[in-house]
Amino acid sequence: MTRFWRRALSALLVVFAAGGTLGAAEKSPDRPITPQQIADTIDQHFASSWEKAGIKPTRADDAEFLRRVSLDLAGRIPTVSEARAFLDDQSPDKRLKLITQLLQSPRYTTHWVNVWRSLLLPEASTNLQARFLAPGFESWLRLHLAKNTPYDQMVKELLTIPVGNGAAQRAFGGRDANPTAFYLAKEIKPENLAASTSRLFLGVRLECAQCHDHPFAQWKKEQFWTYAAFFSGLQGRPQGDFAVPGTEKENQREITIPGTDKVVKARYLDGSEPKWQDKVNTRTTLANWLTAPNNPYFARATVNRLWAHLFGVGLIDPVDEMFGAENINRHPELLEVLAQQFIASKFDLKVLLQGIVASKVYQTSSANHGKHAEDPFLFARMPLRGLTAEQLFDSVAQATGYRPGSRQQPQFFGQGGPRGEFLNRFGNATGEKATDVQTSILQALMLMNGEVVTQATSSQNSELLLAVMDNPFMDTSERLETLYLATLSRKPKAKELVRLTKYVEKGGSTEAKVNSSEERQKRYNQALADVFWALLNSGEFFLNH
Amino acid sequence: MKHTSSLGNLSRRDWLRLCSAGFVGFSMSGWIEQMALGAAKNPQRKRACILLWMNGGPSQMDTFDCKPGHPNGGPIKEVQTSVPGIKISEHLPKIAKHMDRMAIVRSMKTKEADHSRATYLMRTGRPPGGPIQYPVLGSLVAKELEQAEAELPGFVSIAPYRFLSPGAFGPGFLGPKYAPLIVGENAANGGPQNNNYDQALKVQDLDLPGEVSTLRASARVKLLDEMEDDFLAEHTDAAALSHRTAYQRAVTMMRSEASRAFNLDGEPKQLRDAYGRNLFGQGCLLARRLVERGVPFVEVALSNIPGLGGLGWDTHQNNYENVKKLCAVLDPAWGTLMDDLKTRGLLDTTLIVWMGEFGRTPRINGAQGRDHWANSWSTVLAGGGIKGGQVVGKTSKDGVDIEDRPVSVPDLLATAGMALGIDVHKQNPSNVGRPIRIVEPTAKPIKEVLA
Repeated sequence: MTRFWRRALSALLVVFAAGGTLGAAEKSPDRPITPQQIADTIDQHFASSWEKAGIKPTRADDAEFLRRVSLDLAGRIPTVSEARAFLDDQSPDKRLKLITQLLQSPRYTTHWVNVWRSLLLPEASTNLQARFLAPGFESWLRLHLAKNTPYDQMVKELLTIPVGNGAAQRAFGGRDANPTAFYLAKEIKPENLAASTSRLFLGVRLECAQCHDHPFAQWKKEQFWTYAAFFSGLQGRPQGDFAVPGTEKENQREITIPGTDKVVKARYLDGSEPKWQDKVNTRTTLANWLTAPNNPYFARATVNRLWAHLFGVGLIDPVDEMFGAENINRHPELLEVLAQQFIASKFDLKVLLQGIVASKVYQTSSANHGKHAEDPFLFARMPLRGLTAEQLFDSVAQATGYRPGSRQQPQFFGQGGPRGEFLNRFGNATGEKATDVQTSILQALMLMNGEVVTQATSSQNSELLLAVMDNPFMDTSERLETLYLATLSRKPKAKELVRLTKYVEKGGSTEAKVNSSEERQKRYNQALADVFWALLNSGEFFLNH
Repeated sequence: MKHTSSLGNLSRRDWLRLCSAGFVGFSMSGWIEQMALGAAKNPQRKRACILLWMNGGPSQMDTFDCKPGHPNGGPIKEVQTSVPGIKISEHLPKIAKHMDRMAIVRSMKTKEADHSRATYLMRTGRPPGGPIQYPVLGSLVAKELEQAEAELPGFVSIAPYRFLSPGAFGPGFLGPKYAPLIVGENAANGGPQNNNYDQALKVQDLDLPGEVSTLRASARVKLLDEMEDDFLAEHTDAAALSHRTAYQRAVTMMRSEASRAFNLDGEPKQLRDAYGRNLFGQGCLLARRLVERGVPFVEVALSNIPGLGGLGWDTHQNNYENVKKLCAVLDPAWGTLMDDLKTRGLLDTTLIVWMGEFGRTPRINGAQGRDHWANSWSTVLAGGGIKGGQVVGKTSKDGVDIEDRPVSVPDLLATAGMALGIDVHKQNPSNVGRPIRIVEPTAKPIKEVLA
């Protein structure tokens, strides 16, 4: 009995205990879990954590919440009118209404296709083959996310999709919506598939055990290969820069550990032996175990990963080492209960997301005041997170009224055009944590002097600026307010308004005397454009907060 | 946003004085000499690396490991180098004169023979695949050798062709701070015209948009600064600091005379001619100018030349003819770079690495070409930190097997790192939590080539 199993068992005991106190709702199939129950679970847990730590987190104001939740659920900032409407809305449940709207909008699907593609298919940034296959993968994600397919079913489909002769051809060019790219990007190798599926779906990092027994890790080399044996029937052969699948031996259940004569049989990660059934092939047997409600890893790993996506760090961190000896695991009970609720919701991704973003914990301010707030595992302050390249471009386009000349689908491949250039410059898909995102010099140069922002802030060409400048019913402060709403989704503070009104009304930086009213108008417009430029280049615009 | 930097030994004040005295841009030579001398003598000067990246996989049999007399060798003749006993291809006469400062590794043995994977392997030291996003050599070196106050980025990539293996050109888990500053990018559909190299070698978006005056730009930056002050007062997160730092560095570069390194106009005509009037030749000249100004890692890619396809060195057809054409670009550029660095006293502190992603088949195929080959091929180390005038390893008469001292990718990269004075066992935190060494610990550096 390893230390891991002692921990897993004690964790399960906690679940049963929690199940007792939370009542029968989770267990009854008739009464589905509501997002509010999830939010309450989270808030009750942290209310006591915060009380013990003696801290009172600040609630994000409406504008901060609006911008954050729009970026997280729809992948872009709100429009000026959306921002105005939300800020002016006096109804007490307006945040919940907004969350529901965003989850129902087509932008939810667009954005989460990007999120899941970069999680499941990070190779698309480095592997030529994966690049060409990604469109089919994205179509597959779009199909499921649009109808909110239960997550266990999506994963089951991913794990059981036939990968035989012709699979690559079918997947090419995005003609078919299917997840074959996942296998091809992993080179159809059992060891790669074992490593990535365990990381993504079970929160277990096995790679190190591929080659050796690590003295401090639970996972032994043999365990790695018994898990890899589930993928041992897959056949792939390299062809040029590509790997081409061959006929799968779909009932194969054993694998030879490379460099040895040792043959091991397929076993689950918890060490148990599969109950093989007639007519159920090897990968399907694995998929049934992996996505089963009583799988000790699957739901927890999923909840934890989504949590980390929204908060920068997981409830257990790192997210793909949930059972590692050196991880940080400060909220095991909460994660267990959330996992049970996710299972009870029938693996409903929208219900889970809705519950998390409806919680007070998600709605804390990102501003840094108050003591102890810097401990990221108290979740008392929302950390700053970098935007993905897609979020950034779509937000710039939203703020400026910029319209790309041609719409390319899938957009990931936009090699040419401003969007393609943007994605190349800002998307490096390094898999780094959103809280660790760094800005490069070339990124800064592109936003300062590049074509998109230059056009958008040109007093002759900018759609938004023209609308603001030409509106005779607006005074300077109203014009500034519109620019703030368009970029930062908030109204300017009093001191900002004073400072910037002065700047704009004196015509910007110039010291030269202005004689003609025409020239004065031009300077005024340029100064307004300068403010817009600064807003688009600000850290407050560039980051999710 | 302040200027706080110096250029080698030359302070910014000196710079401005020289600029106003009319040296810069018109008669650069006097000033350049002073700066080069300053750069060379500066005891604080760290080492620098110039990587000459041969996209497509250059043929070892027709460059540094010729086999005249054997059917595999083809028609190529050898030429005597400055070091008795060492001969290389007749197409590399200028490079041959610098053999005393070069070590040829004729026994590269690697495991990847497709462009995408091999490029990743050679440039990061690790095979692709798996969750870890490894940084490329340039990012690793920049992190170790970059000066905190530098006006220019620590890693400049000139004319890369990234399409086949984008991940092999990025900073990986080191993050965008160590991303290369890219100029003259070669795109899948051809890239910059070779006759427009001056424009191609400039930094994108470094210049203000046409309608924005310098005065107005300063006012904009001031507005931005005030916004950043307010935001940072309430947000001390690393992401906010990184944003501000990047903008400060970008603005510094926009205002900096150091960024004039990218303007080759002031270089003497004869020198520009000697490097070769093409993207790679002028790229090598730019590399020297950057190294001179303290940039620790510059790579120049030779990807294609007019008349050849996207990957010039990928000589599946007409190998002899095409390699000859490529050498006509490579030889003057690299030869002149050696001369130029030597004249300026920079060769002792500048390591030059020549490599591609793999070599080419010793046997000639039906189309008079050579195909991908990872089993026995050549790379070259030259200049700073290298004991020149030697050959490492040996291939069989037919070029197919290695007979002596096989060298792996980690071996080569560890050697380069040590020549640069870097602790190659140092660990960096990675995107998967586990710390990762600069070079795989299995590396056996080629000690005999280290000076």
